[in-house]
Amino acid sequence: MSMQLEHVSYTYMPGTPYEKEALKDVSLEINKGEFVAVIGHTGSGKSTLVQNLNGLLHPSKGTASLDGVDLSGKTAEAKQARSRIGMVFQYPEHQLFAETVYEDVAFGPRNLGLDPEKVEGRVRDAMKFVGLDFDTFAQRSPFSLSGGQMRRAAIAGVVAMNPDYLILDEPSAGLDPGSRDAVFAEIMALYKKRGIAIIMVTHSMEEAARFAGRMLVICKGKVILDGKPAEIFLKEKERLLQAGMDIPEVCKLADALRARGLRLPYEITDAKRLLAEVKRRKGLK
Amino acid sequence: MEPVIETKGLTHIYLGADNNRVTALDGIDLQVMPGEFVAVIGANGSGKSTLARHFNALLLPAEGSVKVHGLDTLDENSLWKIRQNTGMVFQNPDNQIVAAVVEDDVAFGPENIGVPSEELKARVEEALRAVDMLDYREHAPHLLSGGQKQRVAIAGTLALGSDCIILDEPTAMLDPKGRKEILNTMLKLNKEQHITVVYITHFMTEAIQADRVIVMSEGRIEFQGTPKEVFSRVEELEKLGLEAPLAAKFAFELRKSGVKIPEGIITNEELAEALGSR
Amino acid sequence: MLDITLGQYYPGNSFIHRLDPRTKILTTLLLIVAVFLANTAIGYGTLCAMVLFIIAASGLPFMLVLRSVKPLLFIIVLTLALHILMGQGDHVLYQWKFITVTEEGLQLGVQMAMRLILLLMLSSILTFTTSPIVLTDGIEALLRPFRVIGVPAHELAMMMTIALRFIPTLMEETDRIIKAQTARGADFDRGNLLARAKNMLPILVPLFISAFRRADDLAIAMEARCYRGGEGRTRMHQLAYRSGDVLAFVFAFAMIGLLAFLRWGLKPA
Repeated sequence: MSMQLEHVSYTYMPGTPYEKEALKDVSLEINKGEFVAVIGHTGSGKSTLVQNLNGLLHPSKGTASLDGVDLSGKTAEAKQARSRIGMVFQYPEHQLFAETVYEDVAFGPRNLGLDPEKVEGRVRDAMKFVGLDFDTFAQRSPFSLSGGQMRRAAIAGVVAMNPDYLILDEPSAGLDPGSRDAVFAEIMALYKKRGIAIIMVTHSMEEAARFAGRMLVICKGKVILDGKPAEIFLKEKERLLQAGMDIPEVCKLADALRARGLRLPYEITDAKRLLAEVKRRKGLK
Repeated sequence: MEPVIETKGLTHIYLGADNNRVTALDGIDLQVMPGEFVAVIGANGSGKSTLARHFNALLLPAEGSVKVHGLDTLDENSLWKIRQNTGMVFQNPDNQIVAAVVEDDVAFGPENIGVPSEELKARVEEALRAVDMLDYREHAPHLLSGGQKQRVAIAGTLALGSDCIILDEPTAMLDPKGRKEILNTMLKLNKEQHITVVYITHFMTEAIQADRVIVMSEGRIEFQGTPKEVFSRVEELEKLGLEAPLAAKFAFELRKSGVKIPEGIITNEELAEALGSR
Repeated sequence: MLDITLGQYYPGNSFIHRLDPRTKILTTLLLIVAVFLANTAIGYGTLCAMVLFIIAASGLPFMLVLRSVKPLLFIIVLTLALHILMGQGDHVLYQWKFITVTEEGLQLGVQMAMRLILLLMLSSILTFTTSPIVLTDGIEALLRPFRVIGVPAHELAMMMTIALRFIPTLMEETDRIIKAQTARGADFDRGNLLARAKNMLPILVPLFISAFRRADDLAIAMEARCYRGGEGRTRMHQLAYRSGDVLAFVFAFAMIGLLAFLRWGLKPA
């Protein structure tokens, strides 16, 4: 089962003075069960990329497909394929609209045509996943919640559609460290329990290093790097820095230590491991 | 030297969600001296934003007092003078830009206080130059990046004549590039124009560059000091839901395990120097 | 990202573009009076020549101005048709059942249509040559003297400025909301009128809430920047009349004079 982009290019407002080619001949494949981080500057094309992945935007050239089904088609099959890809936009709490949290989370499942019993089941599951207790929150107005709770309610609304692929655009944007950790804990739980593919757009190298098994680096509409985060930070550091990206703090610290003579193994991108290695070098357990 | 901002026993109470009294600030005593760059950090709900709003009289104390440039915020007649001297930049870059053209927005503040029109143009130009946005003077704000919008907001306070700028989580909604822009702009203004800066943030990488860091929790100042002093208190920070820089955490852990490491290490270079053989 | 310039401003540096906005607003009104004064073929001919002259002076493409008539084309044609087919009059040209085509009806129909077209073209020349921000300045300046009788000139101008500032932002936000709800399976093209109206809720509710939140934030930010209403405010951009504006006024009054003469001065003794 996989998502595919084949030679996809996307141009905004073609034929006008504001024409902009946001994606240039991108080809890639994402399989179910992968956790992919998509990294790039504002304006690099990463938002355009993910919106082509879920069929919200149709490629100007090339095809975007899910398991062989063209996502830009108008057939029922295409519609069904698109419904298997969920997308959580940036600041998702800005899309809450219903009178109760229940109604808002139920919006997605209802649009899928499920009957009320199934809808309730989905809502309960989704709310449980994001850590919003059903009995406490289901009948409350979404607008009476705190910022972090609102975000989780919005995410629940997408999770309730049981997507096979979940795209998240900067899920931690605007959150303080505490709320950020909570959101990621929920995403990881979802990933591990349901085995879905997660595609996460982020600015943070730390987040990519911590959660993703694969990292795509986008620059000026092209995918310039595609691989395991640890490998990219180690082997492609120059190219990352050239593209205006950074490496995680852990890697910077490891580099600083190595520069002062500490001999550390090269593949370290995890803080705990780095600490353990440093302790070893200093003759401790 | 007179402090720019001085609070004595500042207390702020409001009615919470279930109509119960919430003490957002509990007897805060603090001073900010002219030319200082002070960072205020704290978890959500620690009261840091509430504190900021007392500094330009957007909020008034329930108990205690707040004096800005020697003027009491409770004094109605001083209100506009206080807001002129102490500018504020808010978290949402969009929702503080009033006009449809950048230079018109920067002019908004001084227009409000009746600055004569010839002087207005000069002030706007100077302010935009100070934040490196002069080339964008005739642009429409909705086409700017987040970092650029915040710089326009900063220019607005400069044009008003503020010598003290308070920034309430100005980078929370920006990307890394925008965050760097804003921090560097404020550091520059602080060094070159001696603007007093009160900078509220939850990014430790920003707070670490301040002259002084104030750590808040549940409406009280827990402790304060230089970045070195504050960020090496790793355990206390963690208890308050905050994070110390990686190097500080490492230094702490290593010291716990018996490695001889000097106190006050908070940067990678300092740690490397302490541990390395070269 | 969309750069939406409201009022279809067409950038340029022509004589018309450079006129003071107050001049343009007032002379447009004066020329509208002139339009209503015409009642003969010569009169309308003069008006058409005048409009062509103004378009030439503005550097606007003729087709651009002509296209501004499009939105009301239906009404214009309807007016024309009604007058032609049902107009009263003495000189009957054609008759069939209840349809009476009279000469007077034909003339009146053509007049009404001409008036609509000329009015549309004049007002669109105004908005094509004056950016919304400058137009707002002009309106405020014109209304300012009426503050003594309670017209809230400054507040109106402030509202217009803030609206101009936020409309592009809100449009982008609407776009984002539509995308987010579409990604949750919302379909905005389905169903009858009632269903479609209901389907708008997931867009309208978040949009309104966002707009209110912005208004709240903005009000606080304005207060922090010493805003306290229009009293004592100065302005960075000062409007000033120049010789070109005098010429424009003279032209407008001359046109009124000319058309008044054509209407009343040429009556046979």
